[in-house]
Amino acid sequence: MAISGTREKWLMRGLSVPMLLLALTCLYPVFFAINNALKTDKDYILNRFSIVTDPTLQNFVNAWTRSRLSEYFLNSVVVTVGAVALLLAVSSLAGFAFAMLRFPYRKLLFIVILASLMIPVQVVLVPFYRTIVTLGLVNTRIGLIISYTAFFLPFCVYLMTAFYSGLPRELVEAARMDGAKLIQIWWHVMLPLGKPALITLGILNTLYCWNDVLISLLVLQKERTLMVGIAALKGEYTTNIPLLMAGIVIAAAPIVIIYIIFQRRIVNGIATGAVKG
Amino acid sequence: MGSPAERRIALLFIAPALLLVAVFRIFPLLWGFVLSFFDSDGMTKLEFVGFGNYVALASDNAFRDSVENTLILIATLPIWVALPMLLAILIHQGVPGGGFFRAVYFFPAVLSSVIIGSIFNMVLRYDGSLNAMLKAVGLVPVDWLGSGSTALYVLFSVQLWSTFGMSLLIFLAGLSTVPTELVEAARLDGAKPMQIWWHVIIPVLRPIIEFVGVVTTIGALTSMFGLIYVLTAGGPGTSTTLPEFLIWLEQGKMNRPGYAAAISMLLFSLMAGLAYVQIRIMSKNANL
Repeated sequence: MAISGTREKWLMRGLSVPMLLLALTCLYPVFFAINNALKTDKDYILNRFSIVTDPTLQNFVNAWTRSRLSEYFLNSVVVTVGAVALLLAVSSLAGFAFAMLRFPYRKLLFIVILASLMIPVQVVLVPFYRTIVTLGLVNTRIGLIISYTAFFLPFCVYLMTAFYSGLPRELVEAARMDGAKLIQIWWHVMLPLGKPALITLGILNTLYCWNDVLISLLVLQKERTLMVGIAALKGEYTTNIPLLMAGIVIAAAPIVIIYIIFQRRIVNGIATGAVKG
Repeated sequence: MGSPAERRIALLFIAPALLLVAVFRIFPLLWGFVLSFFDSDGMTKLEFVGFGNYVALASDNAFRDSVENTLILIATLPIWVALPMLLAILIHQGVPGGGFFRAVYFFPAVLSSVIIGSIFNMVLRYDGSLNAMLKAVGLVPVDWLGSGSTALYVLFSVQLWSTFGMSLLIFLAGLSTVPTELVEAARLDGAKPMQIWWHVIIPVLRPIIEFVGVVTTIGALTSMFGLIYVLTAGGPGTSTTLPEFLIWLEQGKMNRPGYAAAISMLLFSLMAGLAYVQIRIMSKNANL
């Protein structure tokens, strides 16, 4: 749909100016965080919105060591990697079964899993927390891994089922009488074939797990993940703002890198989730 | 129906997914429903109070404020849908720099609400950089986050700013399904760009508009916790408290699980209604 008239062309050019301003506001926070992370606390108080003149990396060192961000970072990495691995394994198994195998109550069970999308964590905060406590999962990383899996799972199962439904069922025909063979087919055929969907889900769920604060606050109350650590750093009575900004740069860096590398996949994953499901 | 071996293995394959969903979502939902009819006085004793918790909510100012804030939020929803739609149409029509805009607009959506909230807290607080800038050009500073009349709108604006890129992507995906012949035919008939938008593009986008509307509402009701937590902590007073944040406060700070559960159930009924609409829209779209 190209633009024809010259008047329309000028209209479009004119409209791109406010759009550019909006785009600049989307980049501004990154500039703000990096700019102020490089200032000393005194520097920041004297010059709140000026560009840094005498950059220092001391805030990054302090945030990493004294504010214990190194520990939180490790927690976030362990929990995110664990949850994403579990999510992919559980959802590809379920997706394989729903799409390729025939068993009683197949549709009903699929709907039950999808319908749980209607139950966000806020709605079950109290009983969910008590369940976690009863099962001895509170304050454990494995507890947080399992919680993330439970809350991010339905969309993954939906997408894997949709993806595997598009593959020919002959892939499993020969093995349908033999349970052991079906497990091998999942491992040797379904996981490799499911790669495009698994990669998209892997990236999206990495973002969700890394960025989460509510479930993490609830499950890991002694140790912290990175986002809870940042929120705590921000909540301190005398907030050292350059230190906080250094923490933010550290916490956002992995996500920004992932976004730059996988931008196309993230965008497509979101569009698929929305338009098709 | 498959062979016995197939059936057994299939159930084994879906068991982990089903178990996780049942134990951590469906069972807690039922438990919360029951809990909402009980009240506890202290640590252990639970007492059946019927609809007592729900009745008490009616005269709870914090709850009333959270409902009022939710209604204001819902009243602003047309902006949440129209802004990304407008921008998506402009990008789709080939505004200069469209590809760049698309990538940059989506960027805030990948950042954690904690990160966005912390940065905006520093920018918008009374001694923050925005007021420093205002003072530098001779304007009067505004207490953006500290005054009840602005804090709620600031919160909504930050949330809108950080999520509009997501809706924009959905609209762009929808726009790619608008048949070019239809637009060309309208153009040949002498239709002006505005007429083409109004009579050709927007009708095709209608299911997407509905979808974005519902998804945005669900998102606004259940994904603002992190932002509220670091940007305003629900304040000043209760002026930026939404139900999801109130549930958090109730369950954490005061030991009233039944009361928190009652608010949860009300939020759930609203969510279930919206999700029902969402599922209907999706199945309608699938039939197209």
